[in-house]
Amino acid sequence: MTEFRSRFRTLVDGSDAPSDADHHIFIGPQHPWAEEPAHFIIHVKGERVVEADIRIGFNLRGLEKAMEAKTWRQNTMLIPRACGICSAVHQNIYVRIVDRLAGVEDQISERAKLIRMFSLEAERVHSHILWYGILAHDAGFDTMLHISWRDREMIMDIVEDISGNRVNPALMLPGGVKRDIPKEKRDRARPLLDELVKKVEYHKKVFTEEISIRNRLENVGVLTKEDAKKTTPNGPTGRGSGLPFDVRKSYPYELYDKIDWNLVYYNEGDILATTLVRIDETLESLQMLKQILDQLETTQGELLVRIKPRIAEGKYMTRAEAPRGEDLHYGIANGTDKPERYKIRSPSLGNIDATLKRMDGEYIADMPVILRSYDPCFSCTNRVMIINDKTGEKLIINQDEFARKAIKAKKYNRPFF
Amino acid sequence: MSETLKELEGILNVTLPENLVEEVIKVEEGHFDLLSSASNAYDLMKILHGDAGIYYLSAITGIEREKEFQVCYHLQHRIEEEFREVPINFILTKIDKGNPKTPSMVDFYVSADYYEREIYDFFGIYFENHPFLQRLILPEKWPDDVRPMRKEYSWEQLKEITLNIARQISEDD
Repeated sequence: MTEFRSRFRTLVDGSDAPSDADHHIFIGPQHPWAEEPAHFIIHVKGERVVEADIRIGFNLRGLEKAMEAKTWRQNTMLIPRACGICSAVHQNIYVRIVDRLAGVEDQISERAKLIRMFSLEAERVHSHILWYGILAHDAGFDTMLHISWRDREMIMDIVEDISGNRVNPALMLPGGVKRDIPKEKRDRARPLLDELVKKVEYHKKVFTEEISIRNRLENVGVLTKEDAKKTTPNGPTGRGSGLPFDVRKSYPYELYDKIDWNLVYYNEGDILATTLVRIDETLESLQMLKQILDQLETTQGELLVRIKPRIAEGKYMTRAEAPRGEDLHYGIANGTDKPERYKIRSPSLGNIDATLKRMDGEYIADMPVILRSYDPCFSCTNRVMIINDKTGEKLIINQDEFARKAIKAKKYNRPFF
Repeated sequence: MSETLKELEGILNVTLPENLVEEVIKVEEGHFDLLSSASNAYDLMKILHGDAGIYYLSAITGIEREKEFQVCYHLQHRIEEEFREVPINFILTKIDKGNPKTPSMVDFYVSADYYEREIYDFFGIYFENHPFLQRLILPEKWPDDVRPMRKEYSWEQLKEITLNIARQISEDD
């Protein structure tokens, strides 16, 4: 019983610590390792972890309650804020729920669906590259961090080109998409994608052949298939442990059943397996992106179907494969223009139990890598674009430069440009 | 109803006793809503978990209706050979608003532990036989009688309560 009880159970006075542990390490709620607030408690005996636990709830924003107070249309722009980095997938599930409840599901054109998929797959690529970059950093291999993040800029440029934003494309609306991907943007994206495929193949070579990183990841934090069935991780965490379930395959949405792609899963269950799942998925997503661009050449259709603000009574649960795993939303409409209830279950919560199970009996030195394996997220909006409204001149600068310029402009009382 | 029930039974390869099931709704192809009253839910879940072998619980949603509370267990029936999942929304109905109580499913699903605590936190629904039914997400100083996801509390009221807690903490320091 004690072996498979759920975590999240630490008492504040520490009276439930396992008796054979001799030290207790507290990580968080604020800690340089973690970008988001979570409190990990690690009970150790010597160099080995006896048990790990977690306390959550430091970042409650009340999104579900806020959604009940806003209209369905306003929520379209609130829902991507559920997550800093996988914003498109939250928006995708939301618009599919509204499409279904408003009864326009069948009227969404193939072109609109392809553009939605382009946004989703581009997001998966940049999220996965970001993740294995940080994983390499946690394993003490900073060169890989810089290499992978340098290459990630290519996909960020594509996302920015098609949507105007780097991490929050917000391309989708109930009834379709906001804007088209025109021919010149498709042509600009193709060479970048070809280049990125070569780079990601190189990343894969580093992770599989470089001995120093392999030693840090191989046979570390093994989660067997039996344990995975009990702790039920989702997404890449589960697929690394031999649970071959991806919502895109197991319950296809948009046009994932009509496009050519392979399901990636490994049976080893260690951190290297989850890493390779993500790298292989990145390559799959990149070839899907190319397919989508080719299909956009020939597929035509209305981009947006009109939806009335009042949504008829009904309820619908649907899921999507976010970069981190299975994302579930459940919407209930009551006939007015506001939702009756809206539930969001983002993938990370389901993965914490399995991740803490991985740590039992491992070395303290492997802790950062294992804790990173379920992919905590943070946003990277570190620059702005300023457009001079008189001349139309564009200026892209980073945060420091922006601050310097702003201070100077204020100090000497002169225009920003 | 019985036809949809038969289809679901065919997929799961078990018999679901008709006196336990309130209603089965087919949402779309391979996606079902299964309704049952809270008093029968434990026996039905035993069949779903034990005989049908559903080991994956995605999430649990608490719902406030006009006259009752509902709790929805989002289960996925996984068919590994075909890489396919059949979502089943197992909805527990008829949870009394005055004294909200429902059986806990921790015996079957490890993950039910924290999802149920989340609902206890936000709706104040008691899960009977839960081994550790304590607050999960709301802050320690949050007043015990305020259940923020209930309809009686508006966004503005909750904002006021949150600000009061913050003020109190800063005064204590």
